[in-house]
Amino acid sequence: MKKIDKPSTNDSSLVSNKSSRRDFFRKAAVYSASAVAASSLLSPVKLLAEGKDDEFIMEEQPWATSLGYELNKNPYGVPSPYEHNVVRRTTPLLSSAGDMHAAVSLTPLQDLKGIITPNGLFFTRTHNGVARIDYNKHRLMIHGMVKKPIVLTMDEIKRYPSESVIHFLECPSNGAAEWKTPQFDSLQFVKGMMSCTEWTGVRLKTILEDVGVDPKALWMLAEGGDGSSMSRTVPVEKVMDDAMIVYAMNGEALREEQGYPVRLLLPGWEANLCVKWLKRLEFGDKPWYCKEETSKYTTLLPTGKAIQHFYPLEVNSIITSPCPEKPWTDLKKGDIVEIEGLAWSGKGTITHVDISFDGGKNWVEAKLKGLVLPKAWTRFSYIYKYEGKELMLESRATDDSGDTQPTVNQEKKIMGVEGVYHRNSINTWYVKANGEVHNAQMRS
Amino acid sequence: MLKCVHKTISVGVATLVLTSISAFAFDGKKDAVDGGMTYPRKDGVYTAYRYNDQKVPPISFGRKATPNELKAWNTDIMPDGTGLPKGKGTVGEGDELFEEQCAVCHGDFGAGGLGYPTLTGGDIASLTNQRTPGKTDAPKRTIGTYWPKASTLLWYIHDAMPYAHPKSLTWDETYAITAYLLATNEIQLDGKDMDDDTVLSNENFLKIKMPNEKGFIPNIDGPNGVKNVKAFLSDGKNIGAVGVRCMKDCKDDGAKLVVVKDPRTDVTPPFAEVKDLPKKKDNSVKPGQEEYEKSCAVCHGNDKMGAPDVGNKEAWAKVMKKGIDKVLATAIKGTGAMPPRGGSSYSDEKLKQIIEYMYSKSK
Ligand code: HEC
Ligand code: HEC
Repeated sequence: MKKIDKPSTNDSSLVSNKSSRRDFFRKAAVYSASAVAASSLLSPVKLLAEGKDDEFIMEEQPWATSLGYELNKNPYGVPSPYEHNVVRRTTPLLSSAGDMHAAVSLTPLQDLKGIITPNGLFFTRTHNGVARIDYNKHRLMIHGMVKKPIVLTMDEIKRYPSESVIHFLECPSNGAAEWKTPQFDSLQFVKGMMSCTEWTGVRLKTILEDVGVDPKALWMLAEGGDGSSMSRTVPVEKVMDDAMIVYAMNGEALREEQGYPVRLLLPGWEANLCVKWLKRLEFGDKPWYCKEETSKYTTLLPTGKAIQHFYPLEVNSIITSPCPEKPWTDLKKGDIVEIEGLAWSGKGTITHVDISFDGGKNWVEAKLKGLVLPKAWTRFSYIYKYEGKELMLESRATDDSGDTQPTVNQEKKIMGVEGVYHRNSINTWYVKANGEVHNAQMRS
Repeated sequence: MLKCVHKTISVGVATLVLTSISAFAFDGKKDAVDGGMTYPRKDGVYTAYRYNDQKVPPISFGRKATPNELKAWNTDIMPDGTGLPKGKGTVGEGDELFEEQCAVCHGDFGAGGLGYPTLTGGDIASLTNQRTPGKTDAPKRTIGTYWPKASTLLWYIHDAMPYAHPKSLTWDETYAITAYLLATNEIQLDGKDMDDDTVLSNENFLKIKMPNEKGFIPNIDGPNGVKNVKAFLSDGKNIGAVGVRCMKDCKDDGAKLVVVKDPRTDVTPPFAEVKDLPKKKDNSVKPGQEEYEKSCAVCHGNDKMGAPDVGNKEAWAKVMKKGIDKVLATAIKGTGAMPPRGGSSYSDEKLKQIIEYMYSKSK
């Protein structure tokens, strides 16, 4: 047996004091490769010449010749350090004065698979920082036009029969930086103000059966327990349809950024309406006119009038592969490659996604894959033979309410370019002949 | 369960417009309040999900809220005056308070310019501005030109501002600041311009006339409010939901390819897609760091407000030239737009630690 004179673990951050000369060269090679890579945005594409042996096959690797690290070293597991670039990102453009308490962080859609967003990558928007709430001291009050105003502790909320549902949440300003012209060359910044999760909680209707809502109540105020007491008005009709209060995402407690210990979930509607750190629900017969449904989250039209109470995120889609972060620069003419993307609609269920290669003149239907659920991310796929030609690549989704994504021009004609919110027109990726992908739009 | 009815796309038809999509997945009906779909919950099945449909009486947890608890938490203010708390303040008092507590972020008179929301100025006519190519004038959305209700302002300022110390203003102070912001926006009270001595109180609050009250659609007030919203959202022409599923030779007049130019790169952390090991960084939290981030960074994290910004060597060298004791004394007392103790209640010792941390990050 070989004497083990290395650290008894191959925790990659600890792979270091190798002694042999061969190891030295091997290490030097690895380090210089990553030094080059670090200076570029994209992964280095390593093409191995035909007939040449791959050193990573020919030589034993440290992780195969040493003991791995103890299995519960991280009682709460963390991703491989090699994935450290897969993170949420922020920009001062989407903040006040670069201050990151009232700002937004965006999900790295370019690196996500399937339809579930890992909890640590869920996009976050706050108006007064992330509140840190003591689970034991949190209360939910339900009152107003009800027979029995009540107060619930968190443990009591969890006593109600629970349901789990998969829904996306999207900030209505997703893509808002792009109304006038493309500004970012990045999928993350073009569409990353959204995520999709399996939420667990209780249907609000279940609790309200006991509380007894006055049939004359038309509206419900939802108020958060954060510093800004973020609040919104919701029609009771939605509350009685599919509203929930949720305390878990993807099997664990809500993350603080997502409203720990409890938030409102209005499937398909503006994430801002899904009030985080939920502390109070009040029923009434008049709307409240909160700051976030007057000064903000209202859509100014070219007529000078603004739409207030604009709830659902309309049908939308985006190609996630290729994208500016994941280009086709490594492909050869004739390669068979999958075009993949996400489609979603807050008004219903995705029924079709079409793909265009010529900027929207002609379309072919893509296949849906995986779970196809209402108000949830839906994956689509199209297998394509790469030809090394310039493309204007687009996807266009349709939902069961009959809505199809508008073109940029169709949307602009009605909404103008100053509305900020609810942009869902067709996105274009400009694929250059060399496989680079850039953000673009087809517009007049 | 998923019924996709129109799977045939007839090739040969030049432009195929599918007007009525009949693929009502999961037996949904297009009758939701948002103009979208509702799906039946029946026999333990809801779309792709199963649920427990045992018949049970209403489930009851929690306890009745007490009258005092309701009073403590039910503090919202509605446009019709419901919830207006007792209190009063003058425009002049509001002016002073605003300068002390708000101008550092919102600018003198709330005129903006520091990166934080602009609260005054502009005119309603600007709301039709569209920054299409060649046009640079933005619509100005301020209290005077945009906000439909004054109750929103009183309620929001009391609950959410000042930003770093929300809920610290008394109601009298909140009335005063609200009066000031209305006055600087040239909004009238009871048909008259407001001056320094004008008193705003719960007695006359409903006499404020907001200039853009009628600027919003649809009408959400009254017994038909929800119905109006539903009708509005159900008509795609109102909300830009006018896409058509054309498959061949589709027209998009005047559309040409616009590729991103000089894309923004001011993102944190920087763009990177490589799979490598992170550079080792010192993740330990320094003494004073947490408190700095919580209480001081809002002003000291950037150079917009005239606070010596952390990371700025020159600014901090200038501050520390005075010696730590003097600087600490100033920080305790406050100076200019810097509130006493930065608005916190930290001990002298803690403040010193924070200042040393700030300095250490600016060498
Ligand atoms: C440290 C900076 C800071 C200070 C000090 C501050 N604010 Fe703010 N204010 C903000 C930020 C940030 C927002 C936006 C919050 C959000 O995104 O929801 C805001 C929003 C507002 C708005 C809503 C603006 C709009 O157009 O929607 C009003 C009104 C307001 N503040 C009033 C005040 C008043 C009055 C004070 C003083 C009592 C004050 N602020 C002090 C940072 C500040
Ligand atoms: C509301 C904004 C604000 C907050 C919050 C704030 N500061 Fe300041 N601070 C300022 C401004 C503005 C100045 C510059 C004042 C001047 O020179 O007129 C300043 C100056 C200072 C100075 C320099 C004093 C000198 O002698 O020149 C120190 C030290 C300081 N702040 C520490 C702190 C600490 C510690 C905190 C947090 C506990 C804090 N500040 C929070 C705005 C703020």
